[in-house]
Amino acid sequence: MAPFFELRGVTKCFARVIANKDVSFSINRGEVLALLGENGAGKSTVMKILYGLYRADSGQIFMDGKEQHIHSPKDAMTLGVSMIQQHFALVPAHTVTENIILGNVRGKIDYAACRNEVLRLSRQYGFDLPADEKVGSLAVGVQQKVEIVKALYLKTSLLIMDEPTAVLTPQESGKLMAFVKEFTRGGNSVIFITHKLKEVMAVADRIVVMRNGAVAGDIRADETDELELSRLMIGKEIVKAERSREAGESRGVRLELSDVAVRHKNQAPLLRDINFEIARGEIFGIAGVSGNGQEELCGVICGALPVTQGAIRLNGEDITHKSVRERISLGIGYVPVDRYRDGMVMDMTLAENMMLKTSYHPKWRKGLFINEKLLNAETEAAIRDFSIKAPGPDTPAGELSGGNQQKVVLAREVACGTQLMIMDQPTRGLDLGAVNNIHTSILAESKKGKSILLVSTELSEIFALCDRIAVIYKGAFMGIYPREKLTTEKIGLLMAGYSDTKEAEQ
Amino acid sequence: MNAKLRDMVISNLIAILTGLALSGLMLLLLNINPLEAFGYSLKTMFSDPYTLGEVFLKATPLIFTALAFAFTYKANLFNIGAQGQFYMGAIVAVSVSLRLDGKVPTAVLLLTVMVCTAAAGGLIGALIGYLKARHGANEFLVSMMSTYVVLALMNYLLRTFLKEGKGEYPQTDPLTKAAWLPTLLPGTRLHIGFLLAVLTAVAVWILLFKTPLGYRIRVVGSNAAAARLAGIRAETVCVVAFLISGALAGLAGFTEVNGVQHMLIQDFNPGIGAAGLGIAILANAHPIGVIFASILFGMLNVMGNLMGRMPGVSIPSSITDLMQGFVMIFVIASYFLRDHWQNRREKRSLQRGAAV
Repeated sequence: MAPFFELRGVTKCFARVIANKDVSFSINRGEVLALLGENGAGKSTVMKILYGLYRADSGQIFMDGKEQHIHSPKDAMTLGVSMIQQHFALVPAHTVTENIILGNVRGKIDYAACRNEVLRLSRQYGFDLPADEKVGSLAVGVQQKVEIVKALYLKTSLLIMDEPTAVLTPQESGKLMAFVKEFTRGGNSVIFITHKLKEVMAVADRIVVMRNGAVAGDIRADETDELELSRLMIGKEIVKAERSREAGESRGVRLELSDVAVRHKNQAPLLRDINFEIARGEIFGIAGVSGNGQEELCGVICGALPVTQGAIRLNGEDITHKSVRERISLGIGYVPVDRYRDGMVMDMTLAENMMLKTSYHPKWRKGLFINEKLLNAETEAAIRDFSIKAPGPDTPAGELSGGNQQKVVLAREVACGTQLMIMDQPTRGLDLGAVNNIHTSILAESKKGKSILLVSTELSEIFALCDRIAVIYKGAFMGIYPREKLTTEKIGLLMAGYSDTKEAEQ
Repeated sequence: MNAKLRDMVISNLIAILTGLALSGLMLLLLNINPLEAFGYSLKTMFSDPYTLGEVFLKATPLIFTALAFAFTYKANLFNIGAQGQFYMGAIVAVSVSLRLDGKVPTAVLLLTVMVCTAAAGGLIGALIGYLKARHGANEFLVSMMSTYVVLALMNYLLRTFLKEGKGEYPQTDPLTKAAWLPTLLPGTRLHIGFLLAVLTAVAVWILLFKTPLGYRIRVVGSNAAAARLAGIRAETVCVVAFLISGALAGLAGFTEVNGVQHMLIQDFNPGIGAAGLGIAILANAHPIGVIFASILFGMLNVMGNLMGRMPGVSIPSSITDLMQGFVMIFVIASYFLRDHWQNRREKRSLQRGAAV
């Protein structure tokens, strides 16, 4: 029997990159296919071709053995293909029902009937959606369910999900996996785009691994293991950076926040009751679902966000009212979560990006001018030390891959953050090779005595690197724990806001 | 890099020729042979040194006003008020020149006037920048409106304090030769203000690309959020950028009063602010590109004038605006053409690489 959907020899070039070359694979009815690969491996692109968002330069798509031409998402939907993008396509000001029927109703809308259909579908899969609630007021996990029901409403038989667990707590992820199993039991198929090995092993029947735009492996899930998959993904084995702990050194306090809060008028507080200290050489982790005050906490420490109350001390000195520039010169480095927005100037060269944080420093000046010789020498050193793949200091930052851009930011912040480094999800969206590189650097810097505040949504990262872990939820800490005292289950509950005050350290 | 440079030369040439061809088409509608008109104006321009000098003379103030717009543009700010800053420079140039005329040596007078005009234009600019930085005023609107305020001030002064000795017209007394900018080439009106403009453009380029201040201005312009996290105060940069921008526009007042008009009259060069804006966009806000774009505009201006005076036919004087407008549209369109070429080249080399 012909497979449900089949791609044959799909190739797609963008101006600067080959996104897909000669990609061929198929999916059967009732199957969960995981599309695994590092960021930039071409997973999303090939799925966008199947969904009609992009047109392939060459190649064919077959459905049940018959060739199909998919030129738009509309064509795809007619064939029963739906795709849930990484960034949801919902209208926040509309209700759940309105969002779900959007684009699929004509003439006078029979709201009651639509509403009943939405409720029926959501009940069938145990989603329990509030049909009349505005989407904007729903949590991200619930919004995702709205997207799923939207696909079900269209009688989807092939559901494509792009990195669906990135925004979810471990519990929510578990529920999503349960849905996927339930959905495929009825003969439907799911393609799961991800770079997380654990999910793949948990949910997939078959796994297609992509590397550099091409298929690197096509295996049944029960015939492989995580090690083989990771080898296929990056083409070489990863050495996991693990913290070796030297206990018992006496360490002074480097950073101290007492009673810090940030409130804006008529809003829930962005941060409240934040109390913690970081010792010299300590890696202090902040775990939590993103959007719970992590960015604000980093902003408060680097000086971009003024506090409403409380005090911040660095090495005993009160820096609560010092400017960003003063704090940089005191040795606070900051790797922001969004390097495109906050960390780099993409149309400037690497060398120019290297002096971004220290543009006032006299060392870059030679008379009236910028000391380009020194700047280029230091940039070349950074390219070497951090194994940044770039032709030279004159390369525009925008031409580098995401991982290499992040290494540039890291190199710069390592140089200027001599006392403390704030790292907000420093490995977000990077491939395993780059992640490993960055983890090694973080450990090396902490060994030199720098204190590190590591914000991450990846629990494995937090567990691998941190000495102590604070869980943040709605702008407040759910507690601060030594790493050994936490398990994945417990941290998951804390991240979802279920407190457990008895065992907290403070 | 080589291919890019070639693209730039070819695409700009195509754009200019297309613009002229379309203008010629308009002449055809008036039953005038465009080849004859263009041929006549080009021949006259290149054979007569005086006319050729006019090209660079006309380009001089345009370089300044275009630099003024380009400078704030690099900080992602918009100074639409170069005309007003130019007027302020002109008011100060004529006042200071008249006051010092005959009392100090020419070199001292010219240097003093230059500094004063730059300061006057810069002051207007800095005020706009301050209103934006301190009070969040929209710099686009404030700078645009500031032109009318300065214009009204100039008209007032021309009727009162600066009015000529005879008291007949709303204009100032003429400057004596001691206050004139020296001529560059004998037999033409071209004065050393043109050299000053070219040097200023080079200086602006150095300031923007070789100094920490220029670096910070560009950082704020390219990514304001990153600048903030880098401790760069966008407010300071805003005031400084507007100060320098205003000073650049003010200098045009110096070269026009002391170099060309030798007095201040009403309705003085009313179009150079707007033209400068167009030229800056034409040059993609690059200081060196501004020089060439200004010369191109000077050339079209002179060509238009020559065509208007062509014996035997009557070509409307608006031919200048027509040519400038068409050329500008096509040069800007050629940016997209260049991007397209670049993309296609990169894609092709990728596909070649993939095929091997």
